[in-house]
Amino acid sequence: MTEKVCIIGGATTPFDYGPTGFESIEGGAAECVKETMQDVPGFSLRDLDLIIYSHFSVHFGHQLAPEWIIHDHLGLVGLPHFRVENGGNTGGSALYAAALAVMSGHHDVVGIAGWETMDSVAQSQGSEFIAMASDIRYELMVGGIYPIYYAAMANKWMKENHVTEEDVARIAVKNKNNAMENPKAQWYRNEHKYITIDDVMNSRLISYPIKKYDCCLMSRGVAFLVVCSEKYAKKVNPDGYVTVDGMGLSSCTIRAGDRLNNPGWTERYGPGYPGMTEFAACRNSAEQAYKMAGITNPLKEIDFGEIHDAFSTSEAQIYKALGLADKQSIAQFLRDERTSMHGDIPMNPGGGLLGYGHPVGATGLMSIIECYYQLAGMIPKKHLNKKTVVPDAACGIVNSHAGTGTSISNFIIRRK
Amino acid sequence: MTQDIQMKKDTKHTKKKFADEPVFTIKKEYRPKDVRETGLAFVGHEISEDKSVMNQFLHYDQLYTIRHGLNSRFFIGLLDGKIMGTRCPKCGDAWVPVRTHCWNLDCTLSVTEWIEMPLLATVHTWTIAGWSGRSSLKRLPIVLVYAIVKGSKVAIANELHGVKPWDVEFEMPLKIVFKPKEERIGAVTDFHFEPADTWKPSPWNKEKERIKELVDPVYEWVKTLK
Ligand SMILES: [Zn+2]
Repeated sequence: MTEKVCIIGGATTPFDYGPTGFESIEGGAAECVKETMQDVPGFSLRDLDLIIYSHFSVHFGHQLAPEWIIHDHLGLVGLPHFRVENGGNTGGSALYAAALAVMSGHHDVVGIAGWETMDSVAQSQGSEFIAMASDIRYELMVGGIYPIYYAAMANKWMKENHVTEEDVARIAVKNKNNAMENPKAQWYRNEHKYITIDDVMNSRLISYPIKKYDCCLMSRGVAFLVVCSEKYAKKVNPDGYVTVDGMGLSSCTIRAGDRLNNPGWTERYGPGYPGMTEFAACRNSAEQAYKMAGITNPLKEIDFGEIHDAFSTSEAQIYKALGLADKQSIAQFLRDERTSMHGDIPMNPGGGLLGYGHPVGATGLMSIIECYYQLAGMIPKKHLNKKTVVPDAACGIVNSHAGTGTSISNFIIRRK
Repeated sequence: MTQDIQMKKDTKHTKKKFADEPVFTIKKEYRPKDVRETGLAFVGHEISEDKSVMNQFLHYDQLYTIRHGLNSRFFIGLLDGKIMGTRCPKCGDAWVPVRTHCWNLDCTLSVTEWIEMPLLATVHTWTIAGWSGRSSLKRLPIVLVYAIVKGSKVAIANELHGVKPWDVEFEMPLKIVFKPKEERIGAVTDFHFEPADTWKPSPWNKEKERIKELVDPVYEWVKTLK
């Protein structure tokens, strides 16, 4: 018998870049904990029996083991702690670890604190640091940064699925405009404008078919989240907790080119899959999460999602990997705007990485927190208005995604 | 030199080691003059007008040694103008980039054998970069392809030269071209792809026009870089 895993609250700092993002990491973490305590007065740091830190790259932080600074600052001496690092899926992997800890019954109340400070280095230097999470022996100096790898994968995927630049531009428009209702979102705080498909189409080339507005933002940001047993959730937040009913974590190659003919995938899904176009680790982890949560028709049974839109193209690829559409239906699925706020399965009401921002170690946590707010009915309180409320949201999906699809987790979270 | 190797042999059985220590006889250095390890240093700061926020500038510069170990023959091969692949003696799968042990779990990590690959490849997918990391900006726009070296099960990324960006296409046949020997450094940048001699670009179309529209400003922008 395993324990049910619940989330009772969490918060992020505003996500930002450069001069306006001035919080120290430990100060930011403290502010996130305080906001959580305001939302859930019954919660105390004393209740934690484990804390997991979620942080991607010490290259950005000019400090090894920076989690020790945060931990110390929060006054948590004696509490067990460790750090999880799994590229862009660091936040999702931290939730996976926390959920395992609670499920096992060994821990009751687990905190997760995540952050990244990508504005510590110049933006082009930052791109090169992120590229160091590719196989640097083969990919770093051949003009390679992450948007280029994603563009090469997306270009072929779009052709094979008859998806156009305009189709994916809708996703960029949706997420950046959703972020305009969210005061913590980087797009709201900096660029601060509603955009159109034309704006995306006319933005500068990053790597064909990806333009500037198809790309997420580099960010500074911190997030905090409380994962716990149902017994504790009922005690401190009986009307506002959610349950993690399904979870899955899967992996794929670091070099996207090694996905061709890979025996590990051929064994699971037959020859020819995933090629360089499909996110097999997303499909695989979604299948695990759906099975655990008893979901057989995701499009019908899931109300909304907070998913890893590092690029508008990858959000479209993720829809397919999540089983929301197939090769025949995906282009129309995009054109019908099924995932916008007026669609039947809104995706990234919080703005996603394209709008809210992408401070890697905090990103997955941000997605979980936005999903939690949505299910707990807290969006009107946390966003500027009700435009980004998903009516009667009872079941959400959270997706966290690393590398070129190298590690991906999916979670099914339900209102209690 | 030979004396060193002789000494190694003599001491070989005195200590139990995982492997013999290599004797490095070829050593080259080509770092730019301004690149050096200066260690950690605070090099400046800034303080906000109301004296509430401070930023401090820390500089460090680190030389890494990439020890290629069992993969070394691939990188040494590049210096010789060769693409070295590996092949599993059990299942016959072959790869560039190389694997020193087979990826097929049924082959129980069997050690692969080195093979010289033909300098021929096919485009699997492609993109045209209009932005990149700091060290690559002046070379933009870059046509980057994932190509399958003939005989390989997987694709390898590299630049495609000798083609207008809008003319690159899926499945196009390529040849592998190396830099002149004296310019090679034993890294994947020692080679690039070029269209095979038989290849001709396809006629002008809408997508090519769109790509040109996106790429033209990149050419202009690069001209403004110092
Ligand atoms: Zn084999």
